[in-house]
Amino acid sequence: MSSSGAPSHKALSKIACKRLQKELVEWQMNPPTGFKHKVNDNLQRWIIEVIGAPGTLYANETYQLQVDFPEHYPMESPQVIFLLPAPLHPHIYSNGHICLDILYDSWSPAMTVSSICISILSMLSSSTEKQRPTDNDRYVQNCKNGRSPKETRWWFHDDKV
Amino acid sequence: MEKGESTSTSYSDTNGSNEPDHDFECNICFELAQDPIVTLCGHLFCWPCLYRWLHHHSHSQECPVCKALVQDDKLVPLYGRGKNQTDPRTKRYPGMRIPNRPAGQRPETASPPPQQPQNDAASNFFNYGIGLMGGFMPMATTRIGNFSFGVGGLLPSLFNFQFHGFPDAALYGTAPGYPFGGYHNGFRGVPGGNNEPTTPGGGHPSDAALKNILIVVGICVFLFLLL
Repeated sequence: MSSSGAPSHKALSKIACKRLQKELVEWQMNPPTGFKHKVNDNLQRWIIEVIGAPGTLYANETYQLQVDFPEHYPMESPQVIFLLPAPLHPHIYSNGHICLDILYDSWSPAMTVSSICISILSMLSSSTEKQRPTDNDRYVQNCKNGRSPKETRWWFHDDKV
Repeated sequence: MEKGESTSTSYSDTNGSNEPDHDFECNICFELAQDPIVTLCGHLFCWPCLYRWLHHHSHSQECPVCKALVQDDKLVPLYGRGKNQTDPRTKRYPGMRIPNRPAGQRPETASPPPQQPQNDAASNFFNYGIGLMGGFMPMATTRIGNFSFGVGGLLPSLFNFQFHGFPDAALYGTAPGYPFGGYHNGFRGVPGGNNEPTTPGGGHPSDAALKNILIVVGICVFLFLLL
């Protein structure tokens, strides 16, 4: 469904592979609360279920994240998007793209899928109103050709949500 | 789910994913660090991993873990007992040239203790003796004395200071049930930290000279007060 097909699917490097296997094992032993990894045999694309935290606007709602890993993960950030329907949030576009600095400029190879998930859940949880970003339509229109959010030049201005 | 298991085996398999095993893993590749290197902020990496991140991927020279500034010349290599150079760069990132790991910065060797008339065993024993024999209390006083004198030069500190010479003397007085009471300088040099790190107020040989100067100053002040 998500238009964002394969982001230039180059096979994972050996290092990326090993690291992802470790992350997966760790996830299985100690999954972050509010998330479920939907098991498949594709190490390069994880589908993760997000359950809105209780007491927040998204309580009892379930969404799906799609995480695609580049060949040189973790030197390069994974591509993380919401599968549709994406949650209504001032930083989440209707095509599932997420405006969150750690996914782009502020990525660090010490981060993990698990830490990304926690950041995303925290971003959801701190939202005070369910609405799309103001430039949603323009942005989504721009991405029509299946552009990856990693190619977007993001603008991180709002640190409240 | 497997609670029972994990409590029973606590440190091995089930909890294996917890800290004990991860302490020496690179923060980038999550493997046992190869050519390990530590940043000033204390984070461990493989040298090839860190180099590659800082020079080929990152836009800033930041520690991937805590974002502290990282400078190549301030990195500290860890030399364990393992093989020294397993030309690791070819291993972890084939096809990529990674320069040699920065070398450790090596301060000069410690200068040998000034005078050491006795063989090691004896002097060690002696040190130990000081440590045991209430070396501690007088030390504390010494320190306080020094400190307040440095801060103030006020009356109370003057008093402290006067006191200062005393317990020290007591210290040297008591310890030498052994013949060489006089060699305090030499002996203070010796401990090299295997004793109490609190070996008397100063482990420096210049201490005695300093003390003398302070005593003179103290006497002057005292005389001045009398006038």
